[in-house]
Amino acid sequence: MRNFDYLEPTTVAEACALLKQHAGEAKVFAGGSHLTILMKQGLYEPKSLVNIKKIPELKGIQYDAKEGLTIGALVTHRELETSALVKEKFPVLCEAEREVANIRVRNMGTVGGNLASGEPLTDLSQIFISLDGKAKIIGPDGQRIIPVEELFLDFYTTSLAEDEILTQVEIPPLPARSGIEYIRFSSSSVVDKPSAGVAVCLMLETSSEAVQAARIVLGCVGATPVRARRAEGFITGKKLTLELAKEAGGIASQECSPTSDLRGSEQYKRAIVGTLVKRAAEKAYERARTLPSLGEG
Amino acid sequence: MKKTVALKVNGVERSADVEARTTLLDMIREQFNLTGAKLGCDIQVCGACTLLVDGKPVSACSVLAVDVDGCEILTVEGLSKKHRLDPLQEAFMEFGALQCGYCTSGFILTAKALLDECPQPSEQQIRDYLAGNFCRCGCYQEIMQAIKNVAGIGSEE
Repeated sequence: MRNFDYLEPTTVAEACALLKQHAGEAKVFAGGSHLTILMKQGLYEPKSLVNIKKIPELKGIQYDAKEGLTIGALVTHRELETSALVKEKFPVLCEAEREVANIRVRNMGTVGGNLASGEPLTDLSQIFISLDGKAKIIGPDGQRIIPVEELFLDFYTTSLAEDEILTQVEIPPLPARSGIEYIRFSSSSVVDKPSAGVAVCLMLETSSEAVQAARIVLGCVGATPVRARRAEGFITGKKLTLELAKEAGGIASQECSPTSDLRGSEQYKRAIVGTLVKRAAEKAYERARTLPSLGEG
Repeated sequence: MKKTVALKVNGVERSADVEARTTLLDMIREQFNLTGAKLGCDIQVCGACTLLVDGKPVSACSVLAVDVDGCEILTVEGLSKKHRLDPLQEAFMEFGALQCGYCTSGFILTAKALLDECPQPSEQQIRDYLAGNFCRCGCYQEIMQAIKNVAGIGSEE
């Protein structure tokens, strides 16, 4: 690993100023689980690392009945996995985190770093997008809040400017008559990165069991997580049956662009996506029907 | 440009002058001569380099030494108390939970963190927690037996 200057700001403003000052030559450093590997392999050779772990405002998880869940960028995977608050409000996140990498990576890696790395083989991004999550970003000229979906531009490429920091993820309260499910599939070891990960969030109409709104997000099968908008449109306005869920899976499997690699061929991954969408949609639908008040209050 | 890192290693206050790029594993092995933790995959997958930082398992190969300034580190060398091995170390010997021994330090420290966090884990909890530690000699059965024994779980299936 090439040596670098190690900078430790204690406020977001200070961190942004440092990033601006060292523009093009600095990287934001949080848990480090992603960066250290790339630096050891010589893929990144920053002249400075801006460690943001000493910035208190980037820590912590909060819930507000109106605003929903706020996850600080420095919250580790393990903190999210074991948070009683998250377990109560969005258990899907705890369940997903149980399967992220291994206990050591979950202890170090952060939610903010996971998103800001632009790593396509990950889990959180598709869940956040399905929950209509927003990313709060602060730069030298102020803050902006964007849908998590708009963070991802390409493989390892995000819409964050060089002097901006992702400070938190905000997830609105789950509306009544909503249900979500996330399923990931690994083709080798359980601790491997997923071949595919699918999040489905469904909201039902108030007076019937038809789907009013659907968000189906496909992860690990393209440069960025993608919404399966045709599949979403296909089930909207309908009562979900096994046949419809299966058909939606078939549609979604054509809405992604998986590459053939050691985690499966393109064809294999498309088939997996189809199956996962079917299963996740059925589960999300079941939850929406049986847990009408989940997320309220 | 070196930085001074002050930390507690196996209960003793220590300090070291390190470069920013020095990993926790390199500092522990080369400056403190504690060589129980090994470099394996170097990408946080295998678990051979596991150390406990403030009680939590981490991959020391991928943690910067400057990042653990002020932390408490536990290595396998710090487990025994007054020349008495830790119950996990005893159990690993009793059940023959190792062959070459390269992964052993990582397994024992990870199991230690689990038992400190949850003294009576279920078999599934043990499996989940240790899923990220690899043993290429294939001693998984014996490792499970040893940890279950310390956790007080019967080994009847």
